[in-house]
Amino acid sequence: MTAKSKNEKLGQGVGFERIRRITGYLVGTMDKWNDAKRAEERDRVKHSLSNNA
Amino acid sequence: MIQSIIKRDGRVVLYDQNKIAAAILRSLEVSGDGDAADAARVANDVQSDLERRFPAEAPNIEAIQDTVERQLMNHGFNAAAKAYILYRANRTRAREANTALMKTIDEITNIDARISDMKRDNANIDGNTAMGSMLQIGSAGAKAYNEIYLLRPEHAKAYREGDIHIHDFDFYSLTTTCCQIDILKLFHGGFSTGHGYLREPNSIQSYAALAAIAIQSNQNDQHGGQSIPNFDYGMAEGVAKTYRKAFTRRLKDAVEDYLDLADEESAVRAIVAKAEAQTGETARLETGKAFAAAIAAGLKAQYDLNETLSHKLITRASIRAYKKTDRDTMQAMEGFVHNLNTMHSRAGAQTPFSSINYGTDTSPEGRMVIRNILLALDAGLGHGETCIFPIHIFKVKEGVNYNPEDPNYDLFRLSCKVSAKRLFPNYTFLDSPFNLQYYVPGRPETEVATMGCRTRVMGNVYDPTRQIAYSRGNLSFTSINLPRLAIESKGDEKLFYEKLQHMLELTAQQLLDRFEIQANKHIYNYPFLMGQGVWLDSDTLTLKDDLREVLKHGTMSIGFIGLAETLTALYGSHHGESEELQKKGLEIIGFMRDYCDRKSQEMRMNFTLLGTPAEGLSGRFIRMDQKRFGKIKGVTDREYYTNSFHIPVWYPISVYDKIRLEAPYHALCNAGHISYVELDGDTARNVEAFEAVVRCMHDCGVGYGSINHPVDRDPVCGYVGIIGDVCPRCGRREGEEIAPERVEELRRMYPEMPAFQGIE
Repeated sequence: MTAKSKNEKLGQGVGFERIRRITGYLVGTMDKWNDAKRAEERDRVKHSLSNNA
Repeated sequence: MIQSIIKRDGRVVLYDQNKIAAAILRSLEVSGDGDAADAARVANDVQSDLERRFPAEAPNIEAIQDTVERQLMNHGFNAAAKAYILYRANRTRAREANTALMKTIDEITNIDARISDMKRDNANIDGNTAMGSMLQIGSAGAKAYNEIYLLRPEHAKAYREGDIHIHDFDFYSLTTTCCQIDILKLFHGGFSTGHGYLREPNSIQSYAALAAIAIQSNQNDQHGGQSIPNFDYGMAEGVAKTYRKAFTRRLKDAVEDYLDLADEESAVRAIVAKAEAQTGETARLETGKAFAAAIAAGLKAQYDLNETLSHKLITRASIRAYKKTDRDTMQAMEGFVHNLNTMHSRAGAQTPFSSINYGTDTSPEGRMVIRNILLALDAGLGHGETCIFPIHIFKVKEGVNYNPEDPNYDLFRLSCKVSAKRLFPNYTFLDSPFNLQYYVPGRPETEVATMGCRTRVMGNVYDPTRQIAYSRGNLSFTSINLPRLAIESKGDEKLFYEKLQHMLELTAQQLLDRFEIQANKHIYNYPFLMGQGVWLDSDTLTLKDDLREVLKHGTMSIGFIGLAETLTALYGSHHGESEELQKKGLEIIGFMRDYCDRKSQEMRMNFTLLGTPAEGLSGRFIRMDQKRFGKIKGVTDREYYTNSFHIPVWYPISVYDKIRLEAPYHALCNAGHISYVELDGDTARNVEAFEAVVRCMHDCGVGYGSINHPVDRDPVCGYVGIIGDVCPRCGRREGEEIAPERVEELRRMYPEMPAFQGIE
């Protein structure tokens, strides 16, 4: 494969990295999380700043 | 006549009555039922019994054991029969464990970590690498051994069935959890890593490099994380040394330039040395007047310069030395962060779990460290990636950095800006009453420091004169499956507390059993932690001493998970839903804390209560409880139990209410606690809003907190921020390619863009 044709494929199959806090520390990307923690991360809701804070 | 028997694996071997007699004798001795003569009589009857039942063929092991049980009972040795049955059951368990162990090793060997949940139990171990797999195989073997040989049967049962979880069980017989490394004490006079001796460092670069080595070395002696409680105070010394050298050098340059001389090194060195001797001071980021005057006098004597000119040269040297030191500090901090993200420990499978605490050193040198470590964190790694390690913990204190008039307020503001981008630093709050009680101004060791995960050690029942953060840590911790106790109590509050009391006692006993194993180790088992005096008082030990007394500075912690599910199972709703349930929640956790305090007084050792981090545990307990009780709404109907005392992650609640409701649990969980809130990305990037949330935590009495927000990165164009379906910088979707022309265009706009693998 030539450099040029490599260039043409730049980004193909490359995902986005998503970093989240696991329990106090971070981990590289979420693909290393165990199933339960992945489910927990999926369920997290944002907390609103309204009422007081 | 029995000639031969059939073993479990099918092999036929010669019958040996002595072996049967020996097994019977063991049971008789254990139970105190009889002696060798009794054993011989029972063994004879076993043989006759077997001959009757197996006139033609060879009996198998199971049949022989059944016969032994029967004959023991026939002879009235009921206690011995019971002991024999227990022995048999244990042997069976050991055999099954062997089979299970082989299956586990088979999974570790053959299955990709992306498919195997077991291999992702700890997200920071790469289960796909050779060394990672070796670590997991060793871990599986150690667990199997520990369960059968080291645990009391009732503890083994509670652990196996998920009533409790013994954390880091693979290291059960080997070591303790973690330590706050007093980096200044370690550096003074130099130290040995076990692989070589290192002199006391002499510049900020070597301070930072050696700090990383200290973390790495200690990590190999313990199974948990490593932390530096005094990163700013510790590195400040290195900054001072770098500045002192830089000042002499820059003064020499200034003299040579101004007077057009060739080599004034030795003359200027002599002037500086004389000024240091006269004043007892050195050049500092903020150089003292007396020292400057002494240098000016030296310059006048040597070069006949007037005072104005002398001070001009000194100022020029100071400014240049400052710049040089600041640059060196930045590079040292970048190097430190890079080191901790790339260096390997534990046979290469894991980067050390590392944390650094800072924020309260108000000296110019300490401030330079804090500013530069924050800037290094902000810059990220080589391609702008967010650093995973070390975990940064900013210590917040009124009068030091909390209010706008405080000397380090500017650094607190900077920390908010950085955390809004990089998720770190987290914050620990020294003004919360349970932290403030230990705080003594001017004694940094009395400032609470935390392991990044949340573990904290401060109070000291064993030695109340040493209630400090430095040189101490957790010894071991075991968590209780709180929701199960609630489910089993079926709404009966009294029954729940009885069960909880029983489980607390069982857990404390198990922690003490483990302490016995730990206490019998020696300093040579921990060449760095104990051999280099990192652990409190370990420098008073000789090779012959065991570790019992010095380990008592550490903590044994009882943890828990799922307060929310516990309350729902008992009362129908959780503590986020009503003040009444909040009260119930505080009663349960308060009950556990009281138990720990009483046990501490009774044993004169430190039992503490932990809001368990529970990375692997969140799924383990609930999977077992789903099998046992089915899916109970609000209790077992998700894939995880809620972390510690948290309001459930899925429950809609405001930032303020979440912090207000969780804060009182921080006061109760003296082994460690954390609260985090989830902000959307736009709010998090608003520094005012971010700071307001941190201030809310401070004012509500939180001990340790952090703010979660999405941090995404596109490795192709290097964009860091929030990425939905489409990258806001390069416009591609996940997995999509982008054209080379577009890459060139982006590169012109964003020169820091990574050279993506495969592009050139």
